[in-house]
Amino acid sequence: MKKILSGLRYLVIAMICFMCMIPFLILAILSLNTPKRNFYEGNMFIPDFYFANYLEGWVKSDIGHAMINSGIITTMAIVLIVILGSMAGYSISRFNYKFNTTIYGVLLCCMMIPGIINTVPLYTLMIKLNAINTLWGMALVCATLALPQSVFVFAGFIKSLPREIEEAAIIDGCTWYQVFWKIIFPLLKPSISAVVILNGFGIWNNYSQAVFFLQDSSKHNVPQALSVYFQQFAGAKWNLMAATAMIAIVPVVVAFLIFQKKLMQGLTDGALKG
Amino acid sequence: MRHTKIGLHTFMAIPAFLLFSVFFIYPLFKGIGMSMTNWNGVDAAKFVGLKNFQDFFSDKRAINDIKTTVLFALGSAPLLNIVGLIYALLMNSNFKGKSVARMLIYLPAIISPLIMGYIWYLLLQPNRGFVYYALADIGKEYLFGNWLGSYWSSMVVLVLVNVWQYAGMTMVIYLAGLQGIPQELYESAKMDGATGRAAFRYITIPLLGPSIRINVITNIIGSLSVFDIVMSLTGGGPGYQTETLSIYIMRMCYGNKTGYSTAVAIIMFLIILLPVAVSLRLTRHKE
Repeated sequence: MKKILSGLRYLVIAMICFMCMIPFLILAILSLNTPKRNFYEGNMFIPDFYFANYLEGWVKSDIGHAMINSGIITTMAIVLIVILGSMAGYSISRFNYKFNTTIYGVLLCCMMIPGIINTVPLYTLMIKLNAINTLWGMALVCATLALPQSVFVFAGFIKSLPREIEEAAIIDGCTWYQVFWKIIFPLLKPSISAVVILNGFGIWNNYSQAVFFLQDSSKHNVPQALSVYFQQFAGAKWNLMAATAMIAIVPVVVAFLIFQKKLMQGLTDGALKG
Repeated sequence: MRHTKIGLHTFMAIPAFLLFSVFFIYPLFKGIGMSMTNWNGVDAAKFVGLKNFQDFFSDKRAINDIKTTVLFALGSAPLLNIVGLIYALLMNSNFKGKSVARMLIYLPAIISPLIMGYIWYLLLQPNRGFVYYALADIGKEYLFGNWLGSYWSSMVVLVLVNVWQYAGMTMVIYLAGLQGIPQELYESAKMDGATGRAAFRYITIPLLGPSIRINVITNIIGSLSVFDIVMSLTGGGPGYQTETLSIYIMRMCYGNKTGYSTAVAIIMFLIILLPVAVSLRLTRHKE
Protein backbone atom coordinates (compact mmCIF):
# COMPACT_ATOMS: atom_id res chain seq x y z
CA MET A 1 0.00 0.00 0.00
CA LYS A 2 2.72 2.41 1.00
CA LYS A 3 4.68 1.58 -2.13
CA ILE A 4 1.69 2.27 -4.35
CA LEU A 5 1.13 5.58 -2.61
CA SER A 6 4.71 6.73 -3.03
CA GLY A 7 4.66 5.57 -6.65
CA LEU A 8 1.49 7.55 -7.17
CA ARG A 9 3.10 10.58 -5.59
CA TYR A 10 6.04 10.24 -7.97
CA LEU A 11 3.69 10.08 -10.91
CA VAL A 12 1.76 13.17 -9.83
CA ILE A 13 4.94 15.16 -9.23
CA ALA A 14 6.33 14.10 -12.61
CA MET A 15 3.11 15.26 -14.25
CA ILE A 16 3.25 18.61 -12.48
CA CYS A 17 6.87 19.10 -13.57
CA PHE A 18 5.94 18.22 -17.14
CA MET A 19 3.04 20.65 -17.02
CA CYS A 20 5.41 23.40 -15.93
CA MET A 21 7.75 22.67 -18.81
CA ILE A 22 5.27 22.22 -21.70
CA PRO A 23 5.05 25.87 -22.76
CA PHE A 24 8.84 26.11 -22.89
CA LEU A 25 9.13 22.95 -24.96
CA ILE A 26 6.50 24.18 -27.39
CA LEU A 27 8.15 27.57 -27.55
CA ALA A 28 11.41 25.86 -28.46
CA ILE A 29 9.67 23.91 -31.22
CA LEU A 30 7.96 27.01 -32.59
CA SER A 31 11.20 28.95 -32.56
CA LEU A 32 12.90 26.38 -34.77
CA ASN A 33 10.32 26.25 -37.54
CA THR A 34 10.72 27.89 -40.93
CA PRO A 35 8.43 30.85 -41.59
CA LYS A 36 6.51 28.83 -44.17
CA ARG A 37 6.07 25.79 -42.00
CA ASN A 38 2.69 24.15 -42.46
CA PHE A 39 1.66 22.30 -39.34
CA TYR A 40 -0.49 19.87 -41.26
CA GLU A 41 2.55 18.42 -42.96
CA GLY A 42 4.82 16.17 -41.01
CA ASN A 43 5.05 15.71 -37.27
CA MET A 44 4.29 18.96 -35.49
CA PHE A 45 6.50 18.01 -32.57
CA ILE A 46 9.59 17.77 -34.73
CA PRO A 47 10.69 21.26 -35.78
CA ASP A 48 12.64 22.19 -38.92
CA PHE A 49 15.71 23.21 -36.87
CA TYR A 50 15.74 26.53 -38.69
CA PHE A 51 18.16 28.51 -36.53
CA ALA A 52 18.02 31.61 -38.72
CA ASN A 53 15.00 32.72 -36.66
CA TYR A 54 17.30 33.34 -33.73
CA LEU A 55 19.67 35.50 -35.73
CA GLU A 56 16.86 37.53 -37.29
CA GLY A 57 15.04 37.93 -33.99
CA TRP A 58 18.24 38.99 -32.23
CA VAL A 59 19.06 41.62 -34.86
CA LYS A 60 15.58 43.02 -35.45
CA SER A 61 14.44 43.24 -31.84
CA ASP A 62 17.74 44.73 -30.59
CA ILE A 63 17.24 42.53 -27.55
CA GLY A 64 20.98 42.41 -26.84
CA HIS A 65 20.98 46.13 -26.16
CA ALA A 66 17.91 45.72 -23.95
CA MET A 67 19.67 42.99 -21.98
CA ILE A 68 22.59 45.32 -21.28
CA ASN A 69 20.12 47.97 -20.11
CA SER A 70 18.27 45.49 -17.90
CA GLY A 71 21.60 44.29 -16.53
CA ILE A 72 22.76 47.80 -15.65
CA ILE A 73 19.44 48.71 -14.03
CA THR A 74 19.34 45.47 -12.04
CA THR A 75 22.94 45.80 -10.82
CA MET A 76 22.58 49.42 -9.75
CA ALA A 77 19.27 48.77 -8.00
CA ILE A 78 20.52 45.66 -6.22
CA VAL A 79 23.66 47.40 -4.93
CA LEU A 80 21.51 50.21 -3.55
CA ILE A 81 18.99 47.84 -1.98
CA VAL A 82 21.66 45.73 -0.28
CA ILE A 83 23.65 48.67 1.10
CA LEU A 84 20.77 50.91 2.16
CA GLY A 85 18.58 48.00 3.24
CA SER A 86 21.20 46.32 5.42
CA MET A 87 22.25 49.62 7.02
CA ALA A 88 18.63 50.38 7.84
CA GLY A 89 18.05 46.84 9.06
CA TYR A 90 21.01 47.13 11.44
CA SER A 91 19.97 50.43 12.95
CA ILE A 92 16.34 49.34 13.26
CA SER A 93 17.00 45.96 14.85
CA ARG A 94 19.78 47.04 17.21
CA PHE A 95 19.08 50.61 18.34
CA ASN A 96 15.64 51.01 19.73
CA TYR A 97 14.95 54.68 19.15
CA LYS A 98 11.59 56.08 18.34
CA PHE A 99 12.56 57.39 14.91
CA ASN A 100 13.90 53.97 13.97
CA THR A 101 10.72 52.16 14.95
CA THR A 102 8.69 54.83 13.17
CA ILE A 103 10.69 54.40 9.97
CA TYR A 104 10.25 50.65 10.23
CA GLY A 105 6.51 51.00 10.75
CA VAL A 106 6.14 53.30 7.75
CA LEU A 107 8.16 50.95 5.53
CA LEU A 108 6.14 47.91 6.62
CA CYS A 109 2.86 49.70 5.89
CA CYS A 110 4.06 50.77 2.46
CA MET A 111 5.02 47.17 1.69
CA MET A 112 1.28 46.66 1.16
CA ILE A 113 1.08 49.31 -1.57
CA PRO A 114 1.86 48.15 -5.11
CA GLY A 115 4.03 50.46 -7.20
CA ILE A 116 1.41 51.22 -9.83
CA ILE A 117 -0.54 53.30 -7.27
CA ASN A 118 1.97 56.15 -7.26
CA THR A 119 3.48 55.70 -10.69
CA VAL A 120 1.72 58.67 -12.31
CA PRO A 121 2.74 61.30 -9.72
CA LEU A 122 6.17 59.70 -9.68
CA TYR A 123 6.27 60.22 -13.42
CA THR A 124 5.91 63.98 -13.01
CA LEU A 125 8.63 63.95 -10.35
CA MET A 126 10.92 61.99 -12.67
CA ILE A 127 10.42 64.56 -15.41
CA LYS A 128 11.47 67.31 -13.01
CA LEU A 129 14.56 65.34 -12.00
CA ASN A 130 15.44 64.64 -15.65
CA ALA A 131 15.30 60.98 -14.74
CA ILE A 132 12.91 59.86 -17.48
CA ASN A 133 14.58 57.56 -20.00
CA THR A 134 17.65 57.16 -17.85
CA LEU A 135 18.91 53.87 -16.49
CA TRP A 136 19.82 55.41 -13.13
CA GLY A 137 16.31 56.83 -12.75
CA MET A 138 14.75 53.45 -13.40
CA ALA A 139 17.22 51.83 -11.00
CA LEU A 140 16.26 54.30 -8.26
CA VAL A 141 12.55 53.57 -8.80
CA CYS A 142 13.09 49.80 -8.74
CA ALA A 143 15.30 50.05 -5.64
CA THR A 144 12.70 52.14 -3.84
CA LEU A 145 9.94 49.65 -4.57
CA ALA A 146 12.07 46.80 -3.22
CA LEU A 147 13.34 48.60 -0.12
CA PRO A 148 10.61 47.84 2.45
CA GLN A 149 10.76 44.09 1.97
CA SER A 150 14.57 44.12 2.01
CA VAL A 151 14.73 46.12 5.23
CA PHE A 152 12.28 43.60 6.68
CA VAL A 153 14.50 40.67 5.66
CA PHE A 154 17.72 42.30 6.90
CA ALA A 155 16.21 43.49 10.20
CA GLY A 156 14.84 40.03 10.90
CA PHE A 157 18.14 38.38 10.12
CA ILE A 158 20.27 40.79 12.15
CA LYS A 159 17.93 40.34 15.12
CA SER A 160 18.71 36.62 15.07
CA LEU A 161 22.49 37.21 15.24
CA PRO A 162 24.12 36.97 18.68
CA ARG A 163 25.21 40.30 20.14
CA GLU A 164 28.36 39.05 21.86
CA ILE A 165 30.65 39.49 18.84
CA GLU A 166 29.62 43.09 18.42
CA GLU A 167 30.11 43.83 22.08
CA ALA A 168 33.58 42.28 22.05
CA ALA A 169 34.49 44.52 19.12
CA ILE A 170 33.21 47.58 20.97
CA ILE A 171 35.42 46.73 23.93
CA ASP A 172 38.33 46.46 21.49
CA GLY A 173 37.69 50.06 20.51
CA CYS A 174 35.48 49.85 17.44
CA THR A 175 32.57 52.23 17.06
CA TRP A 176 29.12 50.78 16.47
CA TYR A 177 29.23 52.14 12.96
CA GLN A 178 32.49 50.33 12.19
CA VAL A 179 31.10 47.17 13.76
CA PHE A 180 28.41 47.08 11.12
CA TRP A 181 30.78 47.20 8.16
CA LYS A 182 33.53 45.05 9.65
CA ILE A 183 31.55 42.40 11.48
CA ILE A 184 27.83 42.41 10.69
CA PHE A 185 27.89 43.03 6.95
CA PRO A 186 30.11 40.02 6.15
CA LEU A 187 27.73 37.84 8.21
CA LEU A 188 24.72 38.88 6.14
CA LYS A 189 25.47 36.60 3.16
CA PRO A 190 22.35 34.40 3.48
CA SER A 191 19.99 37.33 3.68
CA ILE A 192 21.86 39.22 0.95
CA SER A 193 21.37 36.28 -1.38
CA ALA A 194 17.70 36.10 -0.40
CA VAL A 195 17.25 39.80 -1.14
CA VAL A 196 19.16 39.61 -4.42
CA ILE A 197 17.14 36.63 -5.60
CA LEU A 198 13.78 37.93 -4.42
CA ASN A 199 14.30 41.22 -6.25
CA GLY A 200 16.80 40.57 -9.01
CA PHE A 201 14.49 38.69 -11.36
CA GLY A 202 11.65 41.10 -10.69
CA ILE A 203 13.77 44.14 -11.56
CA TRP A 204 15.18 42.48 -14.68
CA ASN A 205 11.60 41.63 -15.73
CA ASN A 206 10.02 44.91 -14.68
CA TYR A 207 7.44 46.06 -17.17
CA SER A 208 4.79 48.12 -15.38
CA GLN A 209 7.31 50.81 -14.40
CA ALA A 210 9.37 50.51 -17.60
CA VAL A 211 6.29 51.41 -19.64
CA PHE A 212 6.36 54.81 -17.97
CA PHE A 213 10.00 55.54 -17.36
CA LEU A 214 11.81 53.88 -20.27
CA GLN A 215 9.99 54.97 -23.39
CA ASP A 216 13.02 55.85 -25.47
CA SER A 217 13.96 52.83 -27.57
CA SER A 218 17.66 53.15 -26.76
CA LYS A 219 16.78 52.78 -23.06
CA HIS A 220 14.32 49.87 -23.36
CA ASN A 221 14.75 47.01 -20.95
CA VAL A 222 14.02 43.40 -21.95
CA PRO A 223 10.21 43.32 -21.52
CA GLN A 224 9.82 46.77 -23.10
CA ALA A 225 11.94 45.83 -26.11
CA LEU A 226 10.09 42.58 -26.54
CA SER A 227 6.63 44.11 -26.29
CA VAL A 228 7.48 46.82 -28.82
CA TYR A 229 8.95 44.24 -31.17
CA PHE A 230 5.93 41.95 -30.78
CA GLN A 231 3.44 44.74 -31.30
CA GLN A 232 5.13 45.68 -34.55
CA PHE A 233 4.97 42.12 -35.78
CA ALA A 234 1.54 41.50 -34.23
CA GLY A 235 1.43 37.74 -34.35
CA ALA A 236 2.18 37.49 -38.03
CA LYS A 237 5.67 36.02 -37.69
CA TRP A 238 5.28 33.73 -34.75
CA ASN A 239 8.45 31.80 -35.50
CA LEU A 240 10.44 35.02 -34.99
CA MET A 241 8.42 35.92 -31.90
CA ALA A 242 9.10 32.50 -30.40
CA ALA A 243 12.82 32.71 -31.15
CA THR A 244 13.09 36.19 -29.63
CA ALA A 245 11.15 35.10 -26.55
CA MET A 246 13.55 32.16 -26.21
CA ILE A 247 16.53 34.52 -26.40
CA ALA A 248 14.92 36.79 -23.81
CA ILE A 249 14.42 34.02 -21.26
CA VAL A 250 17.86 32.42 -21.67
CA PRO A 251 19.81 34.76 -19.33
CA VAL A 252 17.15 34.47 -16.64
CA VAL A 253 17.04 30.69 -16.85
CA VAL A 254 20.84 30.43 -16.83
CA ALA A 255 21.07 32.72 -13.79
CA PHE A 256 18.37 30.66 -12.12
CA LEU A 257 20.15 27.37 -12.80
CA ILE A 258 23.41 28.75 -11.42
CA PHE A 259 21.85 30.20 -8.29
CA GLN A 260 18.95 27.84 -7.76
CA LYS A 261 20.50 26.03 -4.78
CA LYS A 262 21.20 29.33 -3.06
CA LEU A 263 17.80 30.57 -4.13
CA MET A 264 15.84 27.80 -2.49
CA GLN A 265 18.02 27.99 0.60
CA GLY A 266 17.82 31.77 0.71
CA LEU A 267 14.05 31.68 0.43
CA THR A 268 13.72 29.14 3.22
CA ASP A 269 16.42 30.42 5.58
CA GLY A 270 16.76 34.11 4.95
CA ALA A 271 13.43 35.41 3.89
CA LEU A 272 11.11 33.79 6.37
CA LYS A 273 12.82 34.57 9.62
CA GLY A 274 11.77 37.62 11.49
CA MET B 1 24.89 46.16 27.33
CA ARG B 2 22.78 49.24 27.02
CA HIS B 3 24.00 51.92 24.66
CA THR B 4 22.06 55.10 24.95
CA LYS B 5 24.67 57.11 23.12
CA ILE B 6 23.47 58.60 19.87
CA GLY B 7 25.93 58.38 17.01
CA LEU B 8 26.32 57.58 13.36
CA HIS B 9 25.05 54.04 13.99
CA THR B 10 21.65 55.18 15.24
CA PHE B 11 20.90 57.06 12.03
CA MET B 12 21.72 54.33 9.55
CA ALA B 13 18.09 53.94 8.52
CA ILE B 14 18.00 57.55 7.33
CA PRO B 15 19.50 57.07 3.81
CA ALA B 16 17.02 54.30 3.01
CA PHE B 17 14.19 56.39 4.39
CA LEU B 18 15.26 59.45 2.39
CA LEU B 19 15.25 57.49 -0.88
CA PHE B 20 11.91 55.99 0.04
CA SER B 21 10.44 59.36 0.95
CA VAL B 22 11.44 60.99 -2.32
CA PHE B 23 10.37 58.19 -4.67
CA PHE B 24 7.46 56.68 -2.79
CA ILE B 25 5.92 58.72 0.02
CA TYR B 26 6.13 62.12 -1.68
CA PRO B 27 4.47 60.87 -4.92
CA LEU B 28 1.83 59.13 -2.81
CA PHE B 29 0.76 62.42 -1.26
CA LYS B 30 1.25 64.33 -4.46
CA GLY B 31 -1.11 61.85 -6.09
CA ILE B 32 -3.86 62.81 -3.65
CA GLY B 33 -3.48 66.43 -4.71
CA MET B 34 -3.33 65.56 -8.40
CA SER B 35 -6.46 63.45 -8.14
CA MET B 36 -8.44 66.62 -7.46
CA THR B 37 -7.29 68.38 -10.63
CA ASN B 38 -8.19 68.10 -14.28
CA TRP B 39 -4.54 68.03 -15.31
CA ASN B 40 -3.95 66.59 -18.78
CA GLY B 41 -0.21 66.21 -18.44
CA VAL B 42 0.66 69.36 -20.41
CA ASP B 43 -1.38 72.45 -19.57
CA ALA B 44 -1.74 74.05 -16.16
CA ALA B 45 -3.86 72.00 -13.77
CA LYS B 46 -7.16 73.29 -12.43
CA PHE B 47 -8.62 72.26 -9.08
CA VAL B 48 -11.86 70.38 -9.63
CA GLY B 49 -12.50 68.94 -6.18
CA LEU B 50 -13.94 65.45 -6.11
CA LYS B 51 -15.18 65.56 -9.69
CA ASN B 52 -12.76 62.84 -10.84
CA PHE B 53 -14.15 60.48 -8.22
CA GLN B 54 -17.70 61.27 -9.26
CA ASP B 55 -16.77 60.70 -12.88
CA PHE B 56 -15.19 57.40 -11.96
CA PHE B 57 -18.41 55.91 -10.69
CA SER B 58 -20.31 56.88 -13.82
CA ASP B 59 -17.46 55.66 -16.04
CA LYS B 60 -18.65 52.33 -17.44
CA ARG B 61 -15.17 51.29 -18.49
CA ALA B 62 -13.79 51.96 -15.00
CA ILE B 63 -16.57 49.96 -13.33
CA ASN B 64 -15.91 47.11 -15.74
CA ASP B 65 -12.21 47.29 -14.86
CA ILE B 66 -13.01 47.02 -11.16
CA LYS B 67 -15.14 43.97 -11.89
CA THR B 68 -12.37 42.39 -13.97
CA THR B 69 -9.66 43.14 -11.41
CA VAL B 70 -11.69 41.81 -8.48
CA LEU B 71 -12.84 38.72 -10.40
CA PHE B 72 -9.26 37.99 -11.41
CA ALA B 73 -8.13 38.27 -7.79
CA LEU B 74 -11.05 36.17 -6.53
CA GLY B 75 -10.02 33.42 -8.91
CA SER B 76 -6.29 33.77 -8.74
CA ALA B 77 -5.45 34.42 -5.07
CA PRO B 78 -7.33 31.45 -3.51
CA LEU B 79 -6.38 29.09 -6.33
CA LEU B 80 -2.70 30.03 -6.04
CA ASN B 81 -2.77 29.29 -2.32
CA ILE B 82 -4.58 25.98 -2.71
CA VAL B 83 -2.42 24.76 -5.59
CA GLY B 84 0.75 26.00 -3.89
CA LEU B 85 -0.16 24.20 -0.66
CA ILE B 86 -0.98 20.97 -2.51
CA TYR B 87 2.34 21.13 -4.34
CA ALA B 88 4.17 21.78 -1.07
CA LEU B 89 2.45 18.84 0.69
CA LEU B 90 3.33 16.57 -2.24
CA MET B 91 6.93 17.71 -2.19
CA ASN B 92 7.38 17.68 1.58
CA SER B 93 9.27 14.41 1.90
CA ASN B 94 12.66 13.20 0.92
CA PHE B 95 12.58 11.53 -2.43
CA LYS B 96 15.05 11.22 -5.23
CA GLY B 97 14.99 14.16 -7.61
CA LYS B 98 13.24 16.43 -5.12
CA SER B 99 15.46 19.42 -5.81
CA VAL B 100 15.07 19.01 -9.58
CA ALA B 101 11.29 18.83 -9.25
CA ARG B 102 11.25 21.88 -7.00
CA MET B 103 13.40 23.75 -9.49
CA LEU B 104 11.20 22.88 -12.47
CA ILE B 105 8.03 23.90 -10.66
CA TYR B 106 9.59 27.19 -9.58
CA LEU B 107 11.07 27.98 -13.00
CA PRO B 108 7.99 29.69 -14.55
CA ALA B 109 7.94 32.19 -11.67
CA ILE B 110 11.28 33.75 -12.60
CA ILE B 111 10.30 34.51 -16.16
CA SER B 112 8.82 37.87 -17.04
CA PRO B 113 5.01 37.62 -16.84
CA LEU B 114 4.92 39.73 -19.98
CA ILE B 115 6.89 37.11 -21.91
CA MET B 116 4.80 34.40 -20.30
CA GLY B 117 1.66 36.06 -21.61
CA TYR B 118 3.13 36.15 -25.11
CA ILE B 119 4.10 32.49 -24.90
CA TRP B 120 0.56 31.51 -23.96
CA TYR B 121 -0.78 33.77 -26.66
CA LEU B 122 1.32 31.89 -29.22
CA LEU B 123 -0.18 28.66 -27.90
CA LEU B 124 -3.80 29.74 -27.65
CA GLN B 125 -4.37 32.21 -30.48
CA PRO B 126 -7.34 31.25 -32.67
CA ASN B 127 -6.73 29.21 -35.82
CA ARG B 128 -2.98 29.70 -35.73
CA GLY B 129 -2.00 28.74 -32.20
CA PHE B 130 -0.15 25.58 -31.35
CA VAL B 131 -3.05 24.15 -29.38
CA TYR B 132 -5.34 24.52 -32.37
CA TYR B 133 -2.90 22.64 -34.62
CA ALA B 134 -2.35 19.98 -31.97
CA LEU B 135 -6.10 19.38 -31.75
CA ALA B 136 -6.49 19.48 -35.52
CA ASP B 137 -3.66 17.00 -35.84
CA ILE B 138 -5.63 14.38 -33.94
CA GLY B 139 -8.83 15.37 -35.76
CA LYS B 140 -10.49 17.01 -32.79
CA GLU B 141 -10.35 20.67 -33.75
CA TYR B 142 -13.95 21.05 -32.63
CA LEU B 143 -12.53 20.92 -29.09
CA PHE B 144 -10.76 24.19 -29.73
CA GLY B 145 -12.63 27.25 -28.64
CA ASN B 146 -11.64 30.81 -29.29
CA TRP B 147 -10.76 31.14 -25.63
CA LEU B 148 -9.32 34.60 -25.98
CA GLY B 149 -12.39 35.80 -27.84
CA SER B 150 -14.91 36.08 -25.05
CA TYR B 151 -14.86 37.66 -21.63
CA TRP B 152 -15.38 34.68 -19.37
CA SER B 153 -13.06 32.31 -21.16
CA SER B 154 -10.37 35.00 -21.34
CA MET B 155 -10.69 35.51 -17.61
CA VAL B 156 -10.37 31.78 -16.98
CA VAL B 157 -7.29 31.65 -19.20
CA LEU B 158 -5.73 34.64 -17.42
CA VAL B 159 -6.34 33.15 -13.97
CA LEU B 160 -5.04 29.72 -14.97
CA VAL B 161 -1.92 31.12 -16.62
CA ASN B 162 -1.22 33.25 -13.55
CA VAL B 163 -1.72 30.30 -11.21
CA TRP B 164 0.41 28.10 -13.46
CA GLN B 165 3.19 30.67 -13.37
CA TYR B 166 3.26 31.51 -9.66
CA ALA B 167 2.16 28.27 -7.94
CA GLY B 168 5.86 27.42 -7.56
CA MET B 169 6.54 30.60 -5.65
CA THR B 170 3.67 29.96 -3.25
CA MET B 171 4.85 26.35 -2.95
CA VAL B 172 8.37 27.33 -1.89
CA ILE B 173 7.08 29.50 0.94
CA TYR B 174 4.72 26.75 2.14
CA LEU B 175 7.55 24.22 1.90
CA ALA B 176 9.71 26.42 4.11
CA GLY B 177 6.86 26.58 6.61
CA LEU B 178 6.27 22.81 6.49
CA GLN B 179 9.94 22.10 7.08
CA GLY B 180 9.83 24.29 10.18
CA ILE B 181 7.20 22.08 11.85
CA PRO B 182 8.91 19.71 14.29
CA GLN B 183 8.35 16.08 13.32
CA GLU B 184 7.83 15.04 16.97
CA LEU B 185 4.47 16.78 16.99
CA TYR B 186 3.18 14.37 14.35
CA GLU B 187 4.66 11.39 16.15
CA SER B 188 3.07 12.21 19.48
CA ALA B 189 -0.24 12.99 17.76
CA LYS B 190 -0.08 9.56 16.14
CA MET B 191 0.54 7.93 19.50
CA ASP B 192 -2.50 9.72 20.86
CA GLY B 193 -4.47 8.13 18.05
CA ALA B 194 -4.95 11.18 15.83
CA THR B 195 -5.84 10.50 12.20
CA GLY B 196 -3.87 12.05 9.38
CA ARG B 197 -6.69 14.47 8.76
CA ALA B 198 -6.81 15.57 12.38
CA ALA B 199 -3.04 16.07 12.40
CA PHE B 200 -3.36 18.23 9.29
CA ARG B 201 -6.16 20.26 10.80
CA TYR B 202 -4.70 20.75 14.26
CA ILE B 203 -0.94 20.70 13.65
CA THR B 204 -0.09 21.54 10.05
CA ILE B 205 -2.52 24.39 9.41
CA PRO B 206 -1.99 26.30 12.69
CA LEU B 207 1.80 26.01 12.51
CA LEU B 208 1.77 27.13 8.89
CA GLY B 209 0.24 30.42 10.09
CA PRO B 210 3.14 32.72 9.12
CA SER B 211 3.51 31.13 5.67
CA ILE B 212 -0.22 31.34 5.05
CA ARG B 213 -0.12 34.98 6.02
CA ILE B 214 2.76 35.84 3.66
CA ASN B 215 1.22 33.92 0.79
CA VAL B 216 -2.33 35.20 1.20
CA ILE B 217 -1.24 38.81 1.39
CA THR B 218 1.31 38.75 -1.43
CA ASN B 219 -1.16 36.91 -3.64
CA ILE B 220 -3.96 39.37 -2.92
CA ILE B 221 -1.73 42.37 -3.66
CA GLY B 222 -0.19 40.73 -6.72
CA SER B 223 -3.53 39.65 -8.18
CA LEU B 224 -5.25 42.99 -7.63
CA SER B 225 -2.40 44.90 -9.28
CA VAL B 226 -1.96 42.49 -12.20
CA PHE B 227 -0.56 44.21 -15.27
CA ASP B 228 2.01 42.42 -17.45
CA ILE B 229 0.25 39.17 -18.15
CA VAL B 230 -3.00 40.87 -19.15
CA MET B 231 -1.13 43.30 -21.39
CA SER B 232 0.52 40.54 -23.38
CA LEU B 233 -2.12 37.81 -23.31
CA THR B 234 -5.32 39.71 -24.05
CA GLY B 235 -4.16 43.35 -24.22
CA GLY B 236 -7.30 44.06 -22.21
CA GLY B 237 -9.45 42.62 -24.98
CA PRO B 238 -11.88 41.67 -26.31
CA GLY B 239 -12.56 45.40 -26.44
CA TYR B 240 -11.80 46.72 -22.97
CA GLN B 241 -13.45 43.80 -21.21
CA THR B 242 -10.42 42.20 -19.55
CA GLU B 243 -8.69 45.48 -18.87
CA THR B 244 -7.58 45.74 -15.24
CA LEU B 245 -7.35 48.85 -13.09
CA SER B 246 -3.57 49.12 -13.35
CA ILE B 247 -3.75 49.03 -17.16
CA TYR B 248 -6.51 51.63 -17.05
CA ILE B 249 -4.30 53.91 -14.95
CA MET B 250 -1.52 53.63 -17.53
CA ARG B 251 -3.85 54.24 -20.47
CA MET B 252 -5.56 57.22 -18.84
CA CYS B 253 -2.19 58.73 -17.99
CA TYR B 254 -1.20 58.51 -21.63
CA GLY B 255 -4.66 59.55 -22.76
CA ASN B 256 -4.22 63.08 -21.42
CA LYS B 257 -6.24 62.34 -18.32
CA THR B 258 -3.40 62.45 -15.86
CA GLY B 259 -5.42 63.91 -12.98
CA TYR B 260 -8.15 61.35 -13.49
CA SER B 261 -5.66 58.48 -13.58
CA THR B 262 -4.36 59.41 -10.12
CA ALA B 263 -7.94 59.34 -8.84
CA VAL B 264 -8.27 55.83 -10.27
CA ALA B 265 -5.04 54.89 -8.46
CA ILE B 266 -6.46 56.07 -5.14
CA ILE B 267 -9.61 54.03 -5.66
CA MET B 268 -7.49 51.03 -6.56
CA PHE B 269 -5.49 51.57 -3.38
CA LEU B 270 -8.68 51.40 -1.33
CA ILE B 271 -9.76 48.25 -3.17
CA ILE B 272 -6.47 46.58 -2.22
CA LEU B 273 -6.42 47.91 1.33
CA LEU B 274 -9.70 46.28 2.33
CA PRO B 275 -8.91 42.58 1.69
CA VAL B 276 -5.33 43.03 2.94
CA ALA B 277 -6.54 44.55 6.22
CA VAL B 278 -9.14 41.81 6.62
CA SER B 279 -6.66 39.00 6.00
CA LEU B 280 -4.08 40.58 8.29
CA ARG B 281 -6.71 40.57 11.00
CA LEU B 282 -7.83 37.01 10.33
CA THR B 283 -4.33 35.54 10.25
CA ARG B 284 -3.27 37.40 13.37
CA HIS B 285 -5.62 35.26 15.45
CA LYS B 286 -4.25 32.04 14.10
CA GLU B 287 -0.66 32.70 15.10
